[in-house]
Amino acid sequence: MQRVYRERAAWHNWIADWDNLDVVLILLVSGLTFFGGLAIQSTEVSQKLGFAGHCWQHWLLGIFGVGLALFIARCRYEVLIQWHWVIYGLTNASLLAIKLGFGVNVNGSDRWLNILGFNVQPSEFAKVGLIITLAALLHTRPASTLPGIFRTLAIMSVPWVLVFSQPDLGTSLVFAAIAIGMLYWANAHPGWLVLMIGPLGSAITYGLSKPIWAGWIGVMVLVAWFSLPSPWKRLGAILVMVGNGIFGFLGQYFWTKVLEPYQKARLTLFLAPENDPLGGGYHLIQSRIAIGAGQLWGRGPFQGTQTQLDFIPEQHTDFIFSAVGEELGFIGSIALLIVFWLIALRLIIIAQNAKENFGSLLAIGVLSMIVFQVVINISMTIGLAPITGLPLPWMSYGRSALLTNFIALGLVESVANHRPRMMNFRR
Amino acid sequence: MVRSSPSSSSEPVPATAPTPRVTAKRRRRRSPRSRSRLGSSRIFLIWLLLLSVCGGLGWRLYGLQMVEAPQLAKRARQQQMIYMRPFIPRRTIIDRNGNILATDRLVYTLYAHPSLFKQDPEAIAQKLAPILRQEGSKLRKKLGEAETGLALGHKLSEESADRVRELQIDGLELIRQYGRLYPQQELAADVVGYVDVDHKGQAGLEYSQEELLERDVRTLYMSRAGNGALMPDHLPEGFLGFDQQQLQLTLDMRLQRVARSLLKTQISKYRAKRGAIIVMDVNDGSLLALVCEPTFDPNAYSQFDIQLFKNWAVTDLYEPGSTFKPINMAIALEQEAIAADELFFDQGRIEIDTWEIANHDYKQAGGRGNLNLGQILVHSSNVAMVDLVQQMTPEAYYAGLEQLNLTGKLGVELPGAGAGQLKSAQQFINSPVEPATTAFGQGFSLTPLKLAQLHAAIANGGRLVRPHVLVGLQDSQTSPPPTPNDRDVKRIFSPETTQIVLKAMAQVMNSSGKAAQVPGYRMAGKSGTSQKASPTGGYYKDIKITSFVATFPLESPQYLVLAVIDEPKGKDIFGSTVAAPLVKSVAEALIAIEGLPPSAP
Repeated sequence: MQRVYRERAAWHNWIADWDNLDVVLILLVSGLTFFGGLAIQSTEVSQKLGFAGHCWQHWLLGIFGVGLALFIARCRYEVLIQWHWVIYGLTNASLLAIKLGFGVNVNGSDRWLNILGFNVQPSEFAKVGLIITLAALLHTRPASTLPGIFRTLAIMSVPWVLVFSQPDLGTSLVFAAIAIGMLYWANAHPGWLVLMIGPLGSAITYGLSKPIWAGWIGVMVLVAWFSLPSPWKRLGAILVMVGNGIFGFLGQYFWTKVLEPYQKARLTLFLAPENDPLGGGYHLIQSRIAIGAGQLWGRGPFQGTQTQLDFIPEQHTDFIFSAVGEELGFIGSIALLIVFWLIALRLIIIAQNAKENFGSLLAIGVLSMIVFQVVINISMTIGLAPITGLPLPWMSYGRSALLTNFIALGLVESVANHRPRMMNFRR
Repeated sequence: MVRSSPSSSSEPVPATAPTPRVTAKRRRRRSPRSRSRLGSSRIFLIWLLLLSVCGGLGWRLYGLQMVEAPQLAKRARQQQMIYMRPFIPRRTIIDRNGNILATDRLVYTLYAHPSLFKQDPEAIAQKLAPILRQEGSKLRKKLGEAETGLALGHKLSEESADRVRELQIDGLELIRQYGRLYPQQELAADVVGYVDVDHKGQAGLEYSQEELLERDVRTLYMSRAGNGALMPDHLPEGFLGFDQQQLQLTLDMRLQRVARSLLKTQISKYRAKRGAIIVMDVNDGSLLALVCEPTFDPNAYSQFDIQLFKNWAVTDLYEPGSTFKPINMAIALEQEAIAADELFFDQGRIEIDTWEIANHDYKQAGGRGNLNLGQILVHSSNVAMVDLVQQMTPEAYYAGLEQLNLTGKLGVELPGAGAGQLKSAQQFINSPVEPATTAFGQGFSLTPLKLAQLHAAIANGGRLVRPHVLVGLQDSQTSPPPTPNDRDVKRIFSPETTQIVLKAMAQVMNSSGKAAQVPGYRMAGKSGTSQKASPTGGYYKDIKITSFVATFPLESPQYLVLAVIDEPKGKDIFGSTVAAPLVKSVAEALIAIEGLPPSAP
């Protein structure tokens, strides 16, 4: 009797560490990963790869990822606050290693490091590294003051520059999205965040039309005037005006002198892919045809002709959504959007219920990362955004990205798991 | 647990954000591990962002998958399906001796895209001019007409295409396709027909035998993979066993050539509107020659009048006139209304129902008195023929005419075969003038080919053979398959009847039909000269259609030659003068080609 009770207690204690786990989130992500495997399978049915196919690799890594996330969920995430400089250092070191030429060439780009025989993409793990670093920084000093913001931005600029100069535009945009999301959550003045993206807007509008550019600068100056604290107002507004002006010229310089024609084409082709139907526009056109051909109900699993006939190169990675769109149609696409939306919902709930700012910021950082990638990836396949090389979280094949997303999930689950238990008297 | 602070402040800095300095310090003094205070009032904007982003994506998906979906699905199909049709040659058409009448060959269309030129258009025009056999200056002008998609040359041969390729000029495009070549040009045009630019048959056998000429792959399509590879998922079975079959015709080009050149000469001599010659094997109905003039060159069909694309000997009706008299005799004999040696009275002119019926030579010859069958044909006596058919009741005569299947289908493979016209039974029986005019071949109409079929029946012992031009598909590598025979050929006359009529027709060749007689060969024949019916009723006095039909050798008839000349002009216009010499020349050519021995003296 006694022994049985103790055994049960032991088992209970062991499982109890997961008492507050967000089960819905885990299930959503697991289902998504399984579904992603099916979609990957569909892009490769004709090749008859069997267990050697990407689908099985995706599933195996998915199972490992779920296990890893569950393990991380048991750990106390607050420990990371003390370790955030180490994580920051490792992140920069791995990115620097790529920069210094230690990268392994895979598919024509040097974004991989060979670690213990595995090809690892540091820029993926750097996303989580950045989230932890920013969360720790903003936890101790919220972004409600200008010095706090500048400090955060300065620290973040190192990995950002390393990624941007790889050049990996997609990941650098994810970094920016993470930073803006977390700063916003950390009480940064919305106007300051607007000022942060001001130079980018200036660089773009300068090339489009001068009056719009002038208007943009005007708006930025106004935002600066009204959002900056009083002693900074005048100086800030002037700095914003000059800065935006300089960025306008810089953008023009980059566009005309630095960027190669193919790079420019990559950024603008999505507006009119028909201009280069066999070159840069090919992917965009074929993806749109595939998704449109899906119509309301789709052509059926493994029945999409665009997918089965390999009209979309490398479909199992960044263009996996086109397979879903073609084979499951509008209904399937919307269902997938809803699943991502539910994941976002769970992340926000976790962020709101976290026991302190660090956990809350972690959840928001992960939210920013996931939402931004989902939106940009899907936009790219349906012709709303240029091809940036961002994967669809948990759906796209890509081992580093998948593992990164599961680590992020583990962190968030840890936040959920260790949230205050208000009405829990079981212990 | 207070997690949100009221946001009542109108300050630009959000109320939730602790005011810089003062509150920050105070907050830090509280445990940093305290419950998160972030975000709560900021959640609204995040929800707004998420909703708008999801809405935007959903809206775009709606646009793609619901609104644009049909077009995009069509585009998907278009790029995934490849129709193989343009790359599979149409079958070759050959005559009975294997001469090619129509065949597919690879040709090229040269397109220029001046926007892609990297050289001076002037230089390009100069280089292309000799290959395309066009003037350089004209080419240069053409190159300025559009930025892209200029067709510079059609139906270029392989050699020309190679020379263009060797120039290695950017902005030129050679599209390979099959072009239909008719090496005999106009020789068999009225039988073979032509194909249009899309390789679709538009006239003759090319039109009517599309199914035989297209290899069994008209619906063949393949899936194309993204890298251009063809997927064999829709391939029909036996696709790789590409057959070498050709469509063989019964026509003999040697005979066809002779007939055509003779016909041309005769038409121009008599300034006739048109003419036709039919040579038929009377025993099986196969046509050795089927010539209409004027005709067209199928290699350049677009330059010809659309009226020429039909074969009028098959499609157009005419009143046969005297050539029909032997048929009437056979009907009467078959019904045993007359006897072989019976005499019929010819008073030269009679009146029936106020209609006057006279012999063509009444003014010169007057009445001829009693005539036997042979004499009727020799003199082509209309009045005696009226007497002859009056030995039958109109009902019996009409039934006999119906036996001939005048208004039915002829069964020839050419398109647009016309069915003859006969008065209604009621009109025929109630109006005595109808049987009377029908007696000498007026008042009803048939096609020249139908007349040939009826005379073939006289010659072959009474069988109504199906006229045809097709032997069928045959493999060029192996021996030709046996000609498909029509097993159930209708018999319209008994052999005894036809013997009597043939004998009567043979007498024609010694007198009025002399112009058609080939020396040394016994033949049977009959001329015909009929007035053409006017569309307003009645007949034109001087617009005639002349014809002559002959069958030989008499001992065992094998061939029939029918010549028809429509609207010849001049003096002495009769079947025996205008058409008969044609029959003779064609028969001579046929005798030479087939190596027929002369009749025993």
